[in-house]
Amino acid sequence: MHLLPKNPVNFALLLACCCGSGQLAFAEWQAGPSQIELPHPESSQQVLVGTQLSDERSLDLTRRVEFSFTEPGVASINDRGLIKPLADGNTELRIRYEGQEKTLPVRVTAWQETDSLSFYHDIIPVLSKAGCNSGGCHGKAEGQKGFKLSIFGSDPKADYEAIAREAVGRRVWPVAPEQSLVLLKGTARIPHGGGKRFGPDSELWQKLHRWIGSGAKLDKNADSPSSPRETVRLILEPEQVILDGGGSQQLQLTAIDRAGQRHCVTTMASFESNMESMARVDGRGLIESSDLHGEALILARYMNNVTVCRVTLPQPGITVERPVEHNFIDGHVWDKLERLGFQPSALAADTTFLRRVFLDTIGTLPTSEEARQFLADPAVDKRSQLINRLLERGEYAEYWAMQWLNLLRADQRKIGAQATVALQRWLRRQFRENRPFDQIAHGLVTAQGNPQMEGPVSFYSTLGEPDIAARSISQLLLGVRIECAQCHHHPSEKWSQADYWALAGFFTGMKNKTVPGFGNVLLSQGGKDLEHPRTGETLAARALGAESVAMSGTEDRRRVLADWMVRHDNPFLAKTVVNRLWAHYLGRGLVEPIDDMRETNPATNEPLLEALTQHMIELNFDLKAFTRTLLQSRTYQLSPTTNTSNASDMQNFSHALQKTISAEVLLDAICQATGVPEEFNGWPAGYRAIQIWDNRMPSYFFRVFGRPIRATVCECERSDQPSMSQALHLLNAPEISQKITHRHGRARRLARQYETPDKMLDELYLCTLSRFPKQKERDLMSAAFTQHQDDHRAVAEDILWALLNSKEFAVNH
Amino acid sequence: MLKLSLDQKRRRHCDGISRRLALRVGAGGLISGLTLPRILELQAKAALPTAPKAKSCIFLFLEGGPPHQDMWDPKPDAPSEYSGPFKAISTNVPGTFVTDQLPLCSQMADKYTIVRSHSHNDNGHTTGYHLLMTGHKAAFADGDNPVPNNAYYPSLGSIVSRSLGSRGPVPPYINLPHPMAAGGPGFYGAQHAPFVIDADPSQPDFEVRDLFPSGPGSSKRQSLRNQLLSGIDQLERARNHGPAEVLSKYYERAYSLITSPNAKRAFDIQSEPDDVREMYGHTQLGQCALLARRLVESGCRFVGVDAPGWDVHFNCFPSLRTDLIPYADRAFSGLITDLERRGLLDETLVVMMGEMGRTPKINAGAGRDHWSMAQTIILAGGGVQPGRVIGATDEHATRPVTRPISVDDLLRTITTLMGIDPEKQYYDPLGRPIPIVGGGDFIEELV
Repeated sequence: MHLLPKNPVNFALLLACCCGSGQLAFAEWQAGPSQIELPHPESSQQVLVGTQLSDERSLDLTRRVEFSFTEPGVASINDRGLIKPLADGNTELRIRYEGQEKTLPVRVTAWQETDSLSFYHDIIPVLSKAGCNSGGCHGKAEGQKGFKLSIFGSDPKADYEAIAREAVGRRVWPVAPEQSLVLLKGTARIPHGGGKRFGPDSELWQKLHRWIGSGAKLDKNADSPSSPRETVRLILEPEQVILDGGGSQQLQLTAIDRAGQRHCVTTMASFESNMESMARVDGRGLIESSDLHGEALILARYMNNVTVCRVTLPQPGITVERPVEHNFIDGHVWDKLERLGFQPSALAADTTFLRRVFLDTIGTLPTSEEARQFLADPAVDKRSQLINRLLERGEYAEYWAMQWLNLLRADQRKIGAQATVALQRWLRRQFRENRPFDQIAHGLVTAQGNPQMEGPVSFYSTLGEPDIAARSISQLLLGVRIECAQCHHHPSEKWSQADYWALAGFFTGMKNKTVPGFGNVLLSQGGKDLEHPRTGETLAARALGAESVAMSGTEDRRRVLADWMVRHDNPFLAKTVVNRLWAHYLGRGLVEPIDDMRETNPATNEPLLEALTQHMIELNFDLKAFTRTLLQSRTYQLSPTTNTSNASDMQNFSHALQKTISAEVLLDAICQATGVPEEFNGWPAGYRAIQIWDNRMPSYFFRVFGRPIRATVCECERSDQPSMSQALHLLNAPEISQKITHRHGRARRLARQYETPDKMLDELYLCTLSRFPKQKERDLMSAAFTQHQDDHRAVAEDILWALLNSKEFAVNH
Repeated sequence: MLKLSLDQKRRRHCDGISRRLALRVGAGGLISGLTLPRILELQAKAALPTAPKAKSCIFLFLEGGPPHQDMWDPKPDAPSEYSGPFKAISTNVPGTFVTDQLPLCSQMADKYTIVRSHSHNDNGHTTGYHLLMTGHKAAFADGDNPVPNNAYYPSLGSIVSRSLGSRGPVPPYINLPHPMAAGGPGFYGAQHAPFVIDADPSQPDFEVRDLFPSGPGSSKRQSLRNQLLSGIDQLERARNHGPAEVLSKYYERAYSLITSPNAKRAFDIQSEPDDVREMYGHTQLGQCALLARRLVESGCRFVGVDAPGWDVHFNCFPSLRTDLIPYADRAFSGLITDLERRGLLDETLVVMMGEMGRTPKINAGAGRDHWSMAQTIILAGGGVQPGRVIGATDEHATRPVTRPISVDDLLRTITTLMGIDPEKQYYDPLGRPIPIVGGGDFIEELV
């Protein structure tokens, strides 16, 4: 945000608007639309009046101007700038502001020819707007009180049957429309579980009333996709807006139909904010901002079409000083922070960086020796050297294999122990040998053969039906949660049921066969196109947003999908893996949820995600090289300590975000800090938790700290919310207590080697928090030396216990 | 955690709290320390026409499927291969009969209400359990499943925990004496998982895991440890945000649990006088029921007691006669008597049921098999009108002849009695709004 712009005139304007005085007489202002047409009795038109304050910034004047008409009785306008027709005729809307006046022509033709309302194009939106067909009401699978509508109006014909034919026609009654049940219930004139959905004078009521009165008919060819009234595009104005605390902006939503006609649907659409704490929006498209800073998205939905408005809420009065850039990542991050008025935090101390980069990259705490060495290293590029060393360590492959075992749902009880091991070995090899990610993805999608031999075949063992395989791969590798489109049009995406079942068509050739000498193997040969579950139309297999490709009867159809996926112009794969890695290392995805990429869920920093995606492609999907770029950025190396300007920022990476440590990594960290390895039930000694492939191994620690049960391909499965049981376990569990007092453990060893209190404290802090204690901490810990005197073992045990229970230990910061 | 409350979409607004106010409360909560549970509690209160009576719920789950006809729904006129060996006896409520295996409960039938017309269509143990605790059909086959088996849909206990939060030092949702198979938090996440007491309170060495320091033994050393840790907390307070801040809050709750004499007492079943322990029976179920009473006294919202052993396929009558029914009879009657004596019955809803009833006809192995078409549910306290019989089954106790009470009806009734709006929706990871209860009707005859 240009809060201290170069141009002093602009600055004055800004101040004026920040103060909310509205004294902007010298500014130009605009009003629209330039021509207002109201062709139906229920038509309405949202007028927008605004002024441009700078290149980026405008001010909504709609609710500050004075409206009147040159010709009374033709149309009405309310104080929010919504025009409705009163009688056929022409008039002009006169807009007066600060002594200036503008006029807009208005034409009402609502009653000269009464074209009847269409169930599909006029009534379904009413049911959606009123919430009748929402998932919590009549839209849920079993309906509500015997009245079932398709969710979001995805099946108009069935909805028509439900409304006009079922319940012996009581729901609509053309002879006396106002006695229709839908109107009586909708207005809560008779008891309605869902309460009052619309008023008796509302346009929703009017539309229903007129449709019922004219016979409650279903228009012919209603859902034919070529209908000229089909909405093909939405235009939302404005598409982005910068607001101050307590600011507001009226939206105007226009639907364009196939015939090119524009209809104002502001009052018929639904609006949602993704950050209600920052900006909320009401049912008529008025955005109001709070005094928090950041960014919010307003989603507008109308008839299977969606679009968004990005609301920026900058922090006023902050001049962001751009720190040195380590690489291109920082440039993009600073750009964003400058816009928002968040000053980036300082570079993290070596100790913080050290612990963070170990935990993030290899899921392992640095030992006290490693910490000493790194902290004492005078090399200026020691951070880069460390990053390079870590990426070559064995734990790198172990740790990433573990994470992908979770994502690939390697549940040993479902796929068998041997297959789980086979998958783990394959994953380790991919990461150890740094196989390019596009090849890993290709290998996963086209896996065939015996699941017990090293390889990714068992990934398919739990996926079953073709559409389950399709949607899991879509979410995992393409970042598209297409699951919603199984049963209805995706509510916030362009994906339809046709897209869903066409994608599933790639997985119809898979079968299990017993092949002599190879045992039970998975094969994919040929396959068939699937049918649309509602229309019965055969859908040629095709990838998301792609054209279908002719396929022979015997080839592995999945290969066509995989080839499409790894093309360098594929819009999904690189972006998805980039976002996954970013989320892992930075604590939050550029897109959140990380596997939910869609136009209506853009990244918090689109140019950055774009640049990173390009970088990934240029690196030919070399994960280690990409990780190196990430870790070398100053953004990754920022301190978690916030300053006065950026404490509230949780999505723009102005400071390091704290991350929970996963169950496996935390258990390993406790073992390493105490110097006592865990003995896993039925496993030989010496295994670390991140190496355990058996997701069913009973472990109280894993249960309490939320190890994934591998039921879905969603990263969200791992609960990263701490719980009280975790705190109790760390405080009191006998298992942890035994590690602290173990005869071969760290505490006793330190007691045996005791020289001075300072040396003992150094070692205890290094092995837990990877840093030396501060003076205040030495003072605090002296109490232990005072109480225990020469019992150094007790000293070490008690301090170790306290450090293991510090939040600094349990959190990656 | 707070984000969810802020993003919560409520379609129906009530007079108590507008969405806007809730938002402001929510946003202010970030700073002022208004907790999520508190906000939810305010919201939930606002949603109900009258103030709810039940502050807590004790859910006694007779796992395996208790035979309704051998306990609460006797059919003395049916042929003996249906009616079984037990006789019908009159209770202290004229006209209400139960079997002679319930001597204690039969003398206090004016304290609870019998619902004989519960019915659903899932005959599996783990799947039926899932259906009952979540209101949703299980997506897995019956049999060998992880605990918890409700990976997606939250259990009733987690719903109560999330909606009402804690009202004392003990956690809001507790399972004993082991986790309930379908008692998990589903997509609500670990913070709504049950606190599991994985120990049998009828054992003399009963102890709650991780509740007491297992460390140095001497209290002097423990207080040194606490001193060091609180010193660290002081020093690191400034850096607490994000997960550290959340963890820190749970640490505070853990401390208060460990250190509050009140909380500690809640778990200390050994301090109960012998006659009280005797009243509940020296059985796992009896002592679990007693511990449950102590826990709700200390503010727990939902105690789920899992009492296994009811899957009586073979030669069932000896074990029903000597072990299963007398234990349940004593535990339930003891619990109701005790709650009433302490003035807690009005604010504590007690539910006793299993995942299903059992087959009307005795099988060739002298047992009864799974029968989800009919089951009897016992409800007491928490605003339930006592002394009633709701619904009836046919002459063989095969199916309800009155309106069948569904799982959704039951879940809707329990949540409503506790002041939770069953229509309220939470968003799942896909962004779909999932209502607390998907359908059903409040069982009006209960109040």
